[in-house]
Amino acid sequence: MADPIIAGLGVVALMGAAATIAGAAEDLESDVGSMSNPNSQVQLAPQMGNLHRIFNKAVSGEPVQMGAWAGIAGSVAFVLINALQLPVIMSIAGGAAIAALVHVAFATTSHMGRIVSQSQFNQPLFMDVVTQHLGPIAGHGFIVTFSIVGLSYLMTLPLQGFAHPFPLPFLAVLWGITIGAIGSSTGDIHYGGEREYQQYPFGGGIPVAIHGDITRKAELGARNSMDVVYFCAKYGGPVTGFAFGAIVFFSFWSTVVGALAGSSGDTPLIWGTGILFVIIILLIIINNRIEVFAREKYGPYKE
Amino acid sequence: MDPLFLILAVTAGGIAIGGGVHFIPVGGAPAAIATATGVGTGTAMLAAGGGMTGLITAAAATSSPNLLLIMLAGAAGSALMLGITMLVGNWVYVWGVACVPSSAKVDVDPITKYEQSKYVTPGTEGHGIPTVCFVSGIIGGLLGGAGGGLIYYALYNSLATLPVYAALPGASISIFAATVAGIFALGVFFVNAVIASYNIGGTIEGFHDPKFKRLPRGILACLIASLVTGIVGYLLVLGGAF
Repeated sequence: MADPIIAGLGVVALMGAAATIAGAAEDLESDVGSMSNPNSQVQLAPQMGNLHRIFNKAVSGEPVQMGAWAGIAGSVAFVLINALQLPVIMSIAGGAAIAALVHVAFATTSHMGRIVSQSQFNQPLFMDVVTQHLGPIAGHGFIVTFSIVGLSYLMTLPLQGFAHPFPLPFLAVLWGITIGAIGSSTGDIHYGGEREYQQYPFGGGIPVAIHGDITRKAELGARNSMDVVYFCAKYGGPVTGFAFGAIVFFSFWSTVVGALAGSSGDTPLIWGTGILFVIIILLIIINNRIEVFAREKYGPYKE
Repeated sequence: MDPLFLILAVTAGGIAIGGGVHFIPVGGAPAAIATATGVGTGTAMLAAGGGMTGLITAAAATSSPNLLLIMLAGAAGSALMLGITMLVGNWVYVWGVACVPSSAKVDVDPITKYEQSKYVTPGTEGHGIPTVCFVSGIIGGLLGGAGGGLIYYALYNSLATLPVYAALPGASISIFAATVAGIFALGVFFVNAVIASYNIGGTIEGFHDPKFKRLPRGILACLIASLVTGIVGYLLVLGGAF
């Protein structure tokens, strides 16, 4: 029998790996569907006379959307595992597949609603854009919900440091909201701050004067959201995955690694929570070093 | 558990969440395109995302009878999520967009004393998350997570004493009480995050932002809303909501 702490660390590492994949896929889903805050520019573009072929489905906040999909997938998987006694992997895949179907219906109606509302600015609705983008949107969404429900299931296992009191569907909703908030805050900046304004010089923020003048030409033909994903998959997606993976990995140190200090009473929690506070202080220091690096490397803007 | 404690705990927790949201540097859509300082998402969304991680870590400490420890576990989880999110967000600003984290609201960073205005791209209101915003965000996460933990603890312990919410045979924790308390804490999080978001009115950089002076008004609104929510929470204990 393996040491329970070592086994627990193994499960945490597996959860972190699932979370990393989920985070990367979540950011790319929001890029191919233009889900998050950068979509404000896609919405603004036709009003500035810039007609486009970008997918546009941002009718809700990204965290709420991902919470809904993860919740649907978690609920269906929960029923399949407990009521129909199906194997866990098959049940989670079934739940993620149902969530993908709902996701496709949402993506279709929200894109059409968004684009049709801009017909007053002569923005056309391209049916090929709808059909071409639905596959990648549902595919990335499937990877996200499968990974999130998977890691939520691992959290409920009766192991030392786990056995979380929340049921699978609720955990899936909570992690879904969290991953949406992370994807919206990290990788989407690569889409909004760089990919949307690529015809302007690299190396600065986006001045208000050019808002709405998004890049509409691709390497070949008109740019669509698939071109956005090819670009963001090189940096924005992976770092989002790293962020969510690190959060899931470290948040379990409070119960798993804390057990190294002893297993009696509150000792593991006290030590584990203390470790988290040390990590938080380290994050402040690392962030400051990055700020100093940028100031020294890039320097001030010329007048 | 004393009903007054439950109502006061929900009220205090709501105030901590609402107050904490004011500390979190959010730039909304402008920040997502590197036109404003802060994290590039909405106030309520980021606060809720941080709060959810805090709720998960607080609930993982359910077996402990120590209220302070549950609040600290919630605070640590929430601050950890916000810290990693802000750090990785800065990676994208620095290496993906190639701009220097800087604020246009202050000339000098109050913590590091770094000059800000020269590093702001002309035509923008700053970009990225400089040290003062980062520290402010961590404080916001700590407050929000502690508030969420307090609400969870109070409702869990109120419900777990009821026969209908009793723990299953062989279990020390009532998963029914934990689930209802978790969903309730989630709801209180959203209520107070949205109220604070309205008070902030779009974007805020943290405690050094002039908008931070609106904090007392936001706290008052969160107090009233959380008091009402606390009374609804007591109805849950009475069984009136089922």
